[in-house]
Amino acid sequence: MSVTTEKAARAAAETETIVNYWPAYWTMIALFVFYVCVRIYEQYFGWYAGLDSFDPLFQKYWLSIMWIELPLEFIAFCGIGGYMWKTRDRNIDRVGPREEMRRILVLIGWLAIYAFTVYWGASYFTEQDGTWHQTVIRDTDFTPSHILEFYLSYPIYIIAGWGGFMYARTRVPMFAKRISLAYLMFWAGPFMIFPNIGLNEWGHTFWFMEELFTAPLHWGFVFFGWFALAVFGVAIQIFDRVIELSKEYEKDVSALV
Amino acid sequence: MKTSIMKTLAKCVTARAARIWAFGLVAAIAATTLPAATPASAHGERSQQAFLRMRTLNWYDVKWSKTELNVNDEMELTGRVHVFSGWPQAVAKPEIAFLNVGEPGPILIRKSSWIGDVPAPRSFSLETGKDYSYKLILKARRTGRYHIHVQINVEGGGPIVGPGQWVNIKGDMATFTNPVTLLDGSTIDLETYGITWSMTYHFLWMAAAAVWILYWFMTKGIIARYWLVKIGKADKLISANERKFGAIWLAASMLAVILGYAWANSAFPRTLPMQAGLLKGIQAIDEGTPTVAIRYGGGTYKVPGRELTFKIKVHNSGTEPMRVGEFTTAGLRFLNPDVYTSKPDFPDYLLADRGLSVNDPAPIAAGESKDLVVTVQDARFDIERLSDLAYDTDSQFGGVLMFFSPTGKRQVIEVGGPLIPKFQAAL
Amino acid sequence: MSISTETGAPAGKAWKSKEEFLGCVILTDWILLVVLFAVLLGSFHIHYMLLAGDWDFWIDFKDRRMWPTVAPIVAMCFAAAAQSFLWTKLRLPIGATTVTLALLIGEWINRYDNFWGWTFFPINLVTPSALIPMGFWLDIVLLLSGSWLITALIGGLGWGLLFYPINWPWLAQFHQAAEVDGVLLTLADLIGFNSVRTGTPEYIRMIERGTLRTFGKDVVPVAAFFAGFISMLVYFLWWKIGAWFSTTRYLESDEI
Repeated sequence: MSVTTEKAARAAAETETIVNYWPAYWTMIALFVFYVCVRIYEQYFGWYAGLDSFDPLFQKYWLSIMWIELPLEFIAFCGIGGYMWKTRDRNIDRVGPREEMRRILVLIGWLAIYAFTVYWGASYFTEQDGTWHQTVIRDTDFTPSHILEFYLSYPIYIIAGWGGFMYARTRVPMFAKRISLAYLMFWAGPFMIFPNIGLNEWGHTFWFMEELFTAPLHWGFVFFGWFALAVFGVAIQIFDRVIELSKEYEKDVSALV
Repeated sequence: MKTSIMKTLAKCVTARAARIWAFGLVAAIAATTLPAATPASAHGERSQQAFLRMRTLNWYDVKWSKTELNVNDEMELTGRVHVFSGWPQAVAKPEIAFLNVGEPGPILIRKSSWIGDVPAPRSFSLETGKDYSYKLILKARRTGRYHIHVQINVEGGGPIVGPGQWVNIKGDMATFTNPVTLLDGSTIDLETYGITWSMTYHFLWMAAAAVWILYWFMTKGIIARYWLVKIGKADKLISANERKFGAIWLAASMLAVILGYAWANSAFPRTLPMQAGLLKGIQAIDEGTPTVAIRYGGGTYKVPGRELTFKIKVHNSGTEPMRVGEFTTAGLRFLNPDVYTSKPDFPDYLLADRGLSVNDPAPIAAGESKDLVVTVQDARFDIERLSDLAYDTDSQFGGVLMFFSPTGKRQVIEVGGPLIPKFQAAL
Repeated sequence: MSISTETGAPAGKAWKSKEEFLGCVILTDWILLVVLFAVLLGSFHIHYMLLAGDWDFWIDFKDRRMWPTVAPIVAMCFAAAAQSFLWTKLRLPIGATTVTLALLIGEWINRYDNFWGWTFFPINLVTPSALIPMGFWLDIVLLLSGSWLITALIGGLGWGLLFYPINWPWLAQFHQAAEVDGVLLTLADLIGFNSVRTGTPEYIRMIERGTLRTFGKDVVPVAAFFAGFISMLVYFLWWKIGAWFSTTRYLESDEI
């Protein structure tokens, strides 16, 4: 970096905000609006075209969504990982404390997006699947609720988690230099829920399964869901670094008690 | 810096912005609960393997007492079901079964259900080789046009779906009521009963939980707390007063639990455990020993022509001549036009009114034995995906043949066995 | 070239001023609260619905034996794990309350918007189990004792014992009885019978079907006591699991 540009950057940064969660807020707002639209779509086309997978309407209104969403998700996954890697900080040892703090705060924004998408995937759309299974006999792996749960909301949280993970791996020194076990679990555990769909659908090919949510067949989802608790470790690693970078305010914090 | 963050935050929480956000949220949630579009089709039975649909429960005489209803109107769904003797090995026998309705959610509620003359709000046992009558009394709840099937769930077998019929429901779901008389003589509307109180109870506790969490969060947040714990000041993080406050909070909560429990016991002094248990020994239909007996002599299924052909040796030990009038399987009816001179009232997608023919149309005389070749042919085989039998792991078909006498007597006789698929039309 | 730039703050410092630091911490605390809440909500919900969900979904699964046994035991896992982190690392006595509230928020959104709003099942069929006072109990036992051992023993036992009493105030009304076609049914049975569920035949209900009569005439105390006993053990295990997931270990690249 030339002296001139460095000076200019420094001058601009004098007024620069170290924290800006608005990209995260806007992402979550956009996702919220998107999911509400998805839900409205379900309301109409679930009943209209989703009850029989052999109906041409089903192909038109539901399967077509899946054929669109899966490639897009794959592209997004590769794209986000590729972009992060391509634009990685190749000089991670030279990151100064303020820039490091700024990146940690950006990472917290990523975590917020991930958490938000985990809610939609693991809570909203997963339990919603239970309601749909009461209205239609399981006649395809790609029933409307699955097209939106397994193949939309899960990939979205996987991509969000992957984006954050790769951001940390390429830009945040403590996560870039070594691999955080907690962060690896926090992303990879819930990610494994997606491949676990293979077990689920294989099990359901023994068609006689009743729609018991607590069936052992479903416990793979539970096991991998536990790994989201690794958010604890990630939080601690972040806190530790924030404290290190903010040592001069220890007295102020101590004064709180 | 702080100022700019706070300013930004402040902008987001102005009264006007809050109103816009609240309105947007309410509108979005309201949009998700708007009345749904009319469903277009059946639901899922076509995915079930053909051998399973043909060789488990053979539905016949299915009747929907009404197909046009207003909300709160009742209809009867009645019929008979033959429990196939050659029940497939892959499916558990119907030793535990439940009479159900194939409908997209509680469109019509099930007011009453009967197997034979036994009320069946719970599970029951059926025996293979026997026939049972059933009756469902359904009450219209949700407006729209829906496909309503009879269905029996079998433990280890899953939902086995019978024929379905389009039913139109008019009116307004908001006017739906479900009055139920309790043992003490009082009447309640079960559609809404207890909902307000359950929600109030839940939300009060949840609000208390939010207060508890926010109190602790707001005092010192998260990062500062972590820092203080880290530098060994954990013990100072919670004051003696806060402990007292916690003790009071706990005492108040437990008092509320005790009072709530005591109140519930006094408000509802006579409560019973849920009722469960298997109904056994249900009387099958008894129409005497059939006078027609058949022996299966093999068959073929031509995939391109959707044509099932099988040979049978029929012996008529009765006093009247009998003719083959109908073959029924998986809810589909294939009629012999020589016997059925008028089209019966039955859902068209399942009724092949010219779908059955016999190589020798002459009746089987009393006391006579005769070799017949029965041909069942209709596109509905394909539409209902029974043609896939050729690709199943157990290439045996099943169903019931109906024999009729000139005086209108009917005998329902099970038929079924291995089939050889033929994939070329010329063969 | 490094994309990092050292800007704004004095050399070697992260913050321009104390005000900036405090403002950022306050704002970030809120974000972190949301992150923790949403992650716990999602993971606890999927855990709970796939281990105890059928009892939680349906009014006609909420019996006297299986429901008060399974539900508290399954719920204890996340309560203990959350306490492990929030108490030991942050000294916050809110772990159990947080996870129970998170779960109930997730459940209520779904029950209302999907079970009722999409498939039109009445809410009285799908009311979830109440859990909040159990959360208060566990958190405040930990707050007052300061000991996870005491919390496991006293808190765990109380967790199991409290479950049925805290649900009874809203549930009792559904255990009044009615006669349908000469058959005795509770309102809970009847709601389940009326509300047709193609995927939930009566026989898959895992509910009390008789035989246990060792505690007076009622099975609930025995079930609750058993649930409390197992909850103690689950608490120990899941406190450790919560601690394990709080790991700050780093792996070298060649370790994976």
